[in-house]
Formats: sequence, structure tokens, C-alpha cells
Amino acid sequence: MPLDLERLYDEHASALFAFLLNFTRDENDTRDVLQEIFIKLARQPDLLANACDERPFLLRLAHNAAIDLMRRRGTRSKHHEQFGAEQLATFASTDDPDEAAFRTELSAALGELPADQRAVVHLKLWAGLTFEEIAATLEIPPNTAASRYRYGLDKLRVRLRPLYDEIK
Amino acid sequence: MKHDDQFEQRLRRQPPREVPVGWRNEILSAARIAGLRPSTRDPQTSLFSTLIAQLSTFFRPHSLAWAGLAAVWVVILALQLASRDPTAVAARNMRPLSPEMLMVLRQQKLLLAELVERPEPRAAERPKAHPLRPRSDRCHGIFTA
Repeated sequence: MPLDLERLYDEHASALFAFLLNFTRDENDTRDVLQEIFIKLARQPDLLANACDERPFLLRLAHNAAIDLMRRRGTRSKHHEQFGAEQLATFASTDDPDEAAFRTELSAALGELPADQRAVVHLKLWAGLTFEEIAATLEIPPNTAASRYRYGLDKLRVRLRPLYDEIK
Repeated sequence: MKHDDQFEQRLRRQPPREVPVGWRNEILSAARIAGLRPSTRDPQTSLFSTLIAQLSTFFRPHSLAWAGLAAVWVVILALQLASRDPTAVAARNMRPLSPEMLMVLRQQKLLLAELVERPEPRAAERPKAHPLRPRSDRCHGIFTA
């Protein structure tokens, strides 16, 4: 049975894009990795045959492809954390100035997190995965996923508390 | 705790950015073309490129250190070449000996061999035979002497 790439794109591209943009902190890298995933799926239509759930499987592919890309870039991956701190709009724009300010600060705060914590926080909050699913996606133990989430969230809380209290 | 949950909920409510609209056609076209075309990379090329990629991943982060190590090896090699035994080079560059010279050398060698072999080995002196007698007798002999 031929793989329905259009359906896969329409159902999962948004989630993959959001994760990759937050993880790589680079729109070009995000596009490269997203295209690489769909090329891989087109070349190997059986890839999804054994996947219980498409979304975590595709997020896992995305994570591995992003890591490979960073490794191929060599020196750039060394400064991955520093690039992460650069200004990047990872959230939708809004007309509400308070919300816009919060989203800008949140995006910057996420960029300051270590990449492994950022990945877990994103998968938990915005991809809606459980710790078990996150653990399977990132190939780490569930306890590690939970602790990374807790550390990441604590850092975000400290970083965003003044703004959060102000606009609450 | 309630405050924490509210904060978490607040974060969860922030909508991530959507995929740029133009990407859909580009990505799906690229995927379709790649899906129709069989992979052109042969396994050997793939293995080679993988090896190169792995090596570059290994070397690139410490390129200065590797360059320093390479420079040290070049210096060691240069010192080794500079301090080579000159007699070996001279011997290699020497012209072949004439037949007369070879004859003289051969005679000298024979003479030396004769000189070395001529002296007969001396017969080893036999150890003096001591008559066997008890130790007490020997001591007695010393005291009485």
C-alpha cells in the first residue's frame, strides 16, 4: 500500500516543525530536517508499518535527524547551546501585548535551557507526550525524562516569574 | 503547588508557530521525487562517506590539538633525518672495489684466520688429588704443624 505522504504531512508537520524549531533554534535546520524525514518516509514506506503511534515515532525520527545534523555540522554543534540562546520566535504571534511579551520571554528562556531539557519540556508541554513516550522518543530512561522536565520547568519558572506575576 | 500548576498550564496554552505555508509543496515534491528515484548511493560509497563523516566528527572538535600533534611528528621526523649515521650514506655511495683490492683483502682475511686458529689450546691442569681422610685428621695436621 503506498504511503500517504500528504496525510502524514497534514497531521504531523506542525508538531514536528514546532519541536524541531525549539530544539535546533534555527529555521533552516528545521526545514532541512523536516524534508529529510519526509524523503526518508518516501524511500522507505514500511518505516511506519511497525509503529504503534505515528506521532511519537515521527518525533523520534526528527530528534535523531536533528542530532545527526548537529554532529555533521561539527564545530557548530559545539556551540549549540549558545545558538540556542539567540532570539527566535518559536510561538505564534498575537495582538495582545502582554501575551506577546510573555511569548517572547518564554522563547528566550527556552533558548537558555540545555538542549536535552528543552526537548523534554517541549515534548511534555506542547507535544502532549507522557514521560514514558518522551523516554522512548529520546531514548532515555523515564526517570531521566521526568527529572529533566522538572529542572527545565524550575529554570523557566525562575526566569519568567517577574513577568508572569506582573501580567497574571 | 497550585501556583506551579497555573504556571505549567499557562505555558501549555502558548501556541507554537505554524509551519510556513510554502514548505508543504516543496517538501512533499522533494519527497515524491526521492521516493520515485532509487537510492543512487552504492553501499561502498555510503560506507566511505560514513567513515569520513565519523572521522571528521572525531577530529574536528580538537583540530588545534591534532594539528599540534602532527607538527610534533614532523619535527621528530626532521630531527631523525638530520641525525642519521653519515657512514651508512657514504658506504652506499662508495664505488665497487677493484679485483686487485679484493684479492688483497681476501689474503688478509686468510692470514687473520690462520693467526686466530694457530695457538693450540693448553691442556687444563688436573686438580691435585687429595687423599680422602676424615675432617678431624685434617684439623689435627694443622695444629701439629
